[in-house]
Amino acid sequence: MAQQGDLLLQMKGVQKRFGGAIALSGTDLSIRAGEIHALLGENGAGKSTMLKILAGVHVNDGGTISMAGRSFQTGSPQASIEQGIAVIYQEPSLFLDLTLAENVFIGRQPMKGAAIDWTLVQNEAARLFDELGVPLDPKRLARGLSIADQQVVEIAKALSMNANIILMDEPTAALSASEVERLMTVMQSLKAANKAVIFVSHRLDEVFMISDFITVMRDGATVSENSVEQTDMQKVIKEMVGRELTELFPKTEHDIGDVVLEVKDITNPAYFRNISFKVRKGEIVALAGLVGSGRSEVARAIFGIDKYDSGSVEVNGELLQKGSPIVSMERKIALVPEDRRQQGLFMIAGVDRNIAMESFDRLKGKIFLNFKKERTLTETWRDKLSIKFESASDPVDSLSGGNQQKTVLAKWLATNPDILIVDEPTRGIDVGTKAEVHKLIDAAAGEGKAVLMISSELPEVLGMADRIIVMREGHQVAELSRKDATQEKVIAAATTGSKGA
Amino acid sequence: MNSFISRLKPRGREGSLGIILLVTVGITGLINPRFLTGDGTRDLFTSTAVVALLAIGMAPIIIMRHIDLSVASTVGLTAWFIADISAKNPDFTWVQCFIIGPLIGMIVGVLNGLLVAGLRLPSLVVTLGTLYIVRGAVYVISNSVDYNAQEMPPSLLDLGQKVFFGVMPFTFLLVIFAMLITAWFMKYRKAGRDCYAIGSNPHAADLVGLKVFRRTFLAFVFSGAMAGLAGVFYLMRFAQVDSTAFYGQELAVVAAAVIGGVTIAGGSGTTIGATIGALLVQTIQGGLAAIGVDAFWKSAINGLLLIVAIYADRTLARKSERTLLAQRIKERA
Repeated sequence: MAQQGDLLLQMKGVQKRFGGAIALSGTDLSIRAGEIHALLGENGAGKSTMLKILAGVHVNDGGTISMAGRSFQTGSPQASIEQGIAVIYQEPSLFLDLTLAENVFIGRQPMKGAAIDWTLVQNEAARLFDELGVPLDPKRLARGLSIADQQVVEIAKALSMNANIILMDEPTAALSASEVERLMTVMQSLKAANKAVIFVSHRLDEVFMISDFITVMRDGATVSENSVEQTDMQKVIKEMVGRELTELFPKTEHDIGDVVLEVKDITNPAYFRNISFKVRKGEIVALAGLVGSGRSEVARAIFGIDKYDSGSVEVNGELLQKGSPIVSMERKIALVPEDRRQQGLFMIAGVDRNIAMESFDRLKGKIFLNFKKERTLTETWRDKLSIKFESASDPVDSLSGGNQQKTVLAKWLATNPDILIVDEPTRGIDVGTKAEVHKLIDAAAGEGKAVLMISSELPEVLGMADRIIVMREGHQVAELSRKDATQEKVIAAATTGSKGA
Repeated sequence: MNSFISRLKPRGREGSLGIILLVTVGITGLINPRFLTGDGTRDLFTSTAVVALLAIGMAPIIIMRHIDLSVASTVGLTAWFIADISAKNPDFTWVQCFIIGPLIGMIVGVLNGLLVAGLRLPSLVVTLGTLYIVRGAVYVISNSVDYNAQEMPPSLLDLGQKVFFGVMPFTFLLVIFAMLITAWFMKYRKAGRDCYAIGSNPHAADLVGLKVFRRTFLAFVFSGAMAGLAGVFYLMRFAQVDSTAFYGQELAVVAAAVIGGVTIAGGSGTTIGATIGALLVQTIQGGLAAIGVDAFWKSAINGLLLIVAIYADRTLARKSERTLLAQRIKERA
């Protein structure tokens, strides 16, 4: 058993490349027994890559990792488990048809003779839940369990495997305030048992409440490692951001006209409450906030994919029927969804068919689809957006991410919407294409469309938006104009809910 | 031994199924009093044995979120083969039949298992393919030759007539034996629990390092072996076989398992439930025959029963899920 303060894990200059992209350029991390260590950084800073290397999902290209002073080469989840590393992913992967006790011991059930000793399985699970201070019934099925309780089961599983380093990837992202409190108590009890807890979080208030050490990462490298007493929130935010805005954001000034979209006090208790804002002709409004703060859900509710319990949405001063994407499209709203592969495109269909998908009514002859019109439409948008493909009938699956994103944009721009909602328009595409997509969004606003943009990338939000609405845990916590907004202010609002920082 | 039986005692869904079965038997008995006599009960067991045995083999596969449609063809293949061998070897006894039958079935099972577990092809399509291949093989090999009682081993046919305690035919005794062994295995062995885990969340099964290939492969081999044994049962019951033997009955097996509470989406169910399901279907069929319902309506009512079973299953699942979800949102608010 490790003593408190013993060095359990040390990573030095760890590097990782994916093809041409550098995910980690030299990361250091030291973890001691009996500490809670927070890993902070913006999206894409390399936190997840680091966790996955420790979990054995990825292998590092350079640098050294040592466990309790001995060099350790990661490579398989099994090897990491044997080293006492347990990972709790953001989405727990339990077996919903099995009991909690069985979930803890699956594949490792204790035997009595030839049969599984169910009494022991249940007693042991009950003892672990007890140790964690969470009164879960070990005989209950995992189905219907909240994410918070599922995490507890995963933690119990980690303990039953005798793990001494427990990694948690954004464990609080989907938890309510009281559940977060309970998780913190559990983390404290792990610490008391001389385990090391490494966790990734975007909620700085929590981080400062519970951690002993804070490591900040940016662009794949460690920026700082400090004990919590040696740093403060302002310093951490600066270290996380520390990047200059570039010409990535070709924002131009346009005339801003009348209100086109007005959201009045809409609430869906599971995701968001009392959201109200307006978007004007020619204006780009950004919905900022952390992943899971309810931004995408608001967009889905406006477009009619999900319903909302109360409140209303008006388009050009007239009420919009809720819960019907078809009506929303008739009212000239377009939604470019977050996940282009799952929600935005028909991956095995051709580029032409994808672009034409929402415009069939206009491409129809008397009865049948007019393929000549479809071809003309495809060519028009290929030229406008400079989409690169060999032949119009190529499946979009064969296109690069950037060109796929342009294809989704083309599909929706082809419907000539008045209101364009874009959810994470540049996720996972390279810098050059990013700038092009930004230019397209700016051009759409220039044509007099009202644009609502959801983005997790702060530079994008600050560089493109005329106004920024910040959400936190389903609430609208701040509204900042272009000239007032700074990265620090947006991060502070998104993580702590305070308006001035 | 006593506590062993009591621990296997069906609870929950199997318990209610058992009650439904008893009620159905009671109603059928009211319509046709012969049904409740020793003869009637024996007939029910005799006529259920083949489907029940197949449902026991099918249950682990459905629990793993797979399906095996090839079983009825395998029954036909095995039945014809054994009859053929026996006709050519008059000194054949039931013992050889009981060894060769499962072996032939296992060949089909190995093929299914390699394709589904090894190449990770969808079992619905793979076993639909082997359904046709095996049936085609029977047509070709049999060359329109039929076999009757006189060509079969007398010891096998005698065994088929054997009845214990006045109501329990030898074949159904074996069914109960198989049911208990598999129920124990599925509950008390890691391999059995892995089946539930794999069917419940295949992705997570990979993440926690369960032996997905081995479990899936062996489940299909087991199903094949049971289908082979069912082929022997078929001969014992009908004492005749041609190339169309047991044609098209695979879905009756799936229906029995599903009516018996084996969830088609995987992750839950038991072989005890599957056996009760098979008995329930047969009882209702017997009852309908007794009141003179014709074949079309019998088949339609069977289908209705299946849909009702799935509907009840879904409704119960949705209801409990909704309750739990509402409770959670309330906690968060």
